[in-house]
Parts: sequence; structure tokens; C-alpha cells
Amino acid sequence: MTVLILTCRQDVTADMVVARLHDHGVPLMRLDPADLPGAAALSTEYVSGDFQGYLSTGGRLLSMSSLRSIWVRRPGAPAAHAPEPSPWLTAETEQALYGMLYATQARWMNHPSASAQARCKPWQLRIAQRSNFAVPPTVITTFPYAARQFAEQYGDIVVKAASGPPSGGPPVALPTTRIGPDADFAAVSAGPTLLQRYIPKQADVRLTYVGGRMYAARKPAAEGQVDGRYGTSEHTWTAVDTPDRIARAVHDFIDLAGLAYAAFDFAEDEEGVWWFLECNQGGQFGFIELETGQPIAEEVARWLRA
Amino acid sequence: MRPFVLNYVRPAEDPAVTAPYTYDSALQLNVLPDGRPAILDRTVLLATGTTTSTAGSKTHFDD
Repeated sequence: MTVLILTCRQDVTADMVVARLHDHGVPLMRLDPADLPGAAALSTEYVSGDFQGYLSTGGRLLSMSSLRSIWVRRPGAPAAHAPEPSPWLTAETEQALYGMLYATQARWMNHPSASAQARCKPWQLRIAQRSNFAVPPTVITTFPYAARQFAEQYGDIVVKAASGPPSGGPPVALPTTRIGPDADFAAVSAGPTLLQRYIPKQADVRLTYVGGRMYAARKPAAEGQVDGRYGTSEHTWTAVDTPDRIARAVHDFIDLAGLAYAAFDFAEDEEGVWWFLECNQGGQFGFIELETGQPIAEEVARWLRA
Repeated sequence: MRPFVLNYVRPAEDPAVTAPYTYDSALQLNVLPDGRPAILDRTVLLATGTTTSTAGSKTHFDD
């Protein structure tokens, strides 16, 4: 039985898992949907009540009947590398590929429908509340007066984007940014704005969940650092234990979200409380494993070959 | 009117880092110029930033 890994070629985080699967002698196919059609090929038949499907790339042929599990890591858009790419060709290729994969009995890490829902940050906040995480007071609004009222109530707040920075122009970053209550909120009417109470943090916490197991890591925050992804710090990530209350909340969140893998980000305040910031359904783990030695790649490989 | 949150956009750091490895379709791994798997070189991995949280979340949702 074969493991299918959907990711781009440059993804060395995937390499970490591929190497573990090689060590265990597990057959695998690594495929970038962007290479389909072209460097990769597929064929599916629905005949006489039977279903057969095949994928081919790099001289390998994979039958859907021998597919064990699918890891969705960093796949490119289907047909992105085609000689004449187009939105239509991407849509057709996506239907052909994922339709074939959905028709199998393979286990997913993570199923694309669960991933799509889990990427919705406002939805995450509600699921986090239902899972009994500590969630910072948050408002998402297009009403300037609601934003102003929130700022007056909590005083020290941050603004962040729900979907990430805008694309299409020159590359830009949009880090979580601390703003004062005296900001001019008139422009809130021009686009949904996510405001959150600022959590004075003493550390960032990254908890990686893999098929029932948890690996928490902690990095002390630099003075005045708001967004742990930006800015430099002399600190490194170190492994820490997961408090029981957090472990229960993670399990509840995972059950509600239908995920097999997730990376949670928390802000640890001065009293040691872990405040839920977000859950990344496809979150990176390479940097955590490199710094902490936590065997996350091995755990992903174990889940895929189970 | 420019949406409020876009007042806090800033230029992205230059992502133009040339990865010193290439994909080997036989191994299904990236390899260094000397043929060793790239993942064996911790220094290379950290220097290229390819395993960090800000590597490509907008495109690949893997922040």
C-alpha cells in the first residue's frame, strides 16, 4: 500500500517525512498537482459499476486500489505548470484529480474539505471558544463605531488580517499590529476589520498536533514583539509539556474540525495562560523540529503508514 | 477608501533566496550539489528559511 504526498518539489519539510517513509520501506508517490497534466498523468474509469484510477509521475504508477493515505502538504494549483495554463484547465484538472482521490478509501491528512473550513479564522475563534480555549476578546466588523467602541473598552488592541496579506501587487507583509484607542476607524467601513485585545505575552507557544499526539514548543518573546513571525529574537524554540487543560481543548477542537494534523499558535501571558491565536491546518513544523528535536516528521510518517 | 487593516501593510522582506538544492525525482527528495539529501544539512535548511512559518502561507496555507 502506497502513501501519496501532494506537495511542490522545493518543499524540504516534506523531504523530512519522505526520508522517514524511506527508512521504513514504505512505498510512496510524491506529486505536485501543478505538474498535471504534463510531468504527471492520470486516468480514471467508471465502468460496469467499478472504479479504477491511476496516477503517474517520475516513472512511477500508482493505482487507487493500493492507496493507503494522502498527505496534503504544499500542493501547487492543478495545471499551474501546464504549457498553456488557464483557470479552466485548473478547474478541470482539479475535478479529475481530487474527484479520483475522494473516491478512494484512503485516509487524509487533512481532507481538503476540512482544511478549507479550518482555514476560516473567524470560524476558528468560535470553535476555540467551544473547545474551552482562552480566546482574546475579538471583533470583526465593518461598523466604524463598533471598532471605536471595542478600542475604548479594551484600550490596548491589535489589528490583523483574517486571510493574510493582499496579493496581486508587489509582495507585502501584514503582521499583527498593535494600535492605540485613538486610531481613526473611519476606514473600517471599507473592509471587514479584525480587532483583538492585545495579550501582553512573555512567550509564543506552538503546539503541533499529529494524529492524536501533541508536541508543544515555547519561545520567549522579544521585548515589545507582537507578531512572533516577524522580527528577530535571540531566543529559540524549546520543547515544553502540554498542560492537561490545553490537551483536552486541542482534542475537542480537532474533533469539531475533523483534522488529522494542525499547528496551534498561542500567546503565553505573564500569568502563564495560553491564549488561542489561531490554528494552522497545514502549519509548518520543520523549524520546530530543527530547534527542539521533537520527532514530528516521524510522527507524520507513522500516521501515514498506519 | 482604503480598508483600515491595509494601513498596516509593509513591504515584504526580500524572499529571493536561492535554495542550494535541487529535486531528485528518483529519490523524491531534494539533494545538495554533492548528492546528499538536503535535510541532512541543518545549516542550509535554517539559512534558506524553507521550513519556517512565514515561508509561503499566502499561497500554500501552511503558516
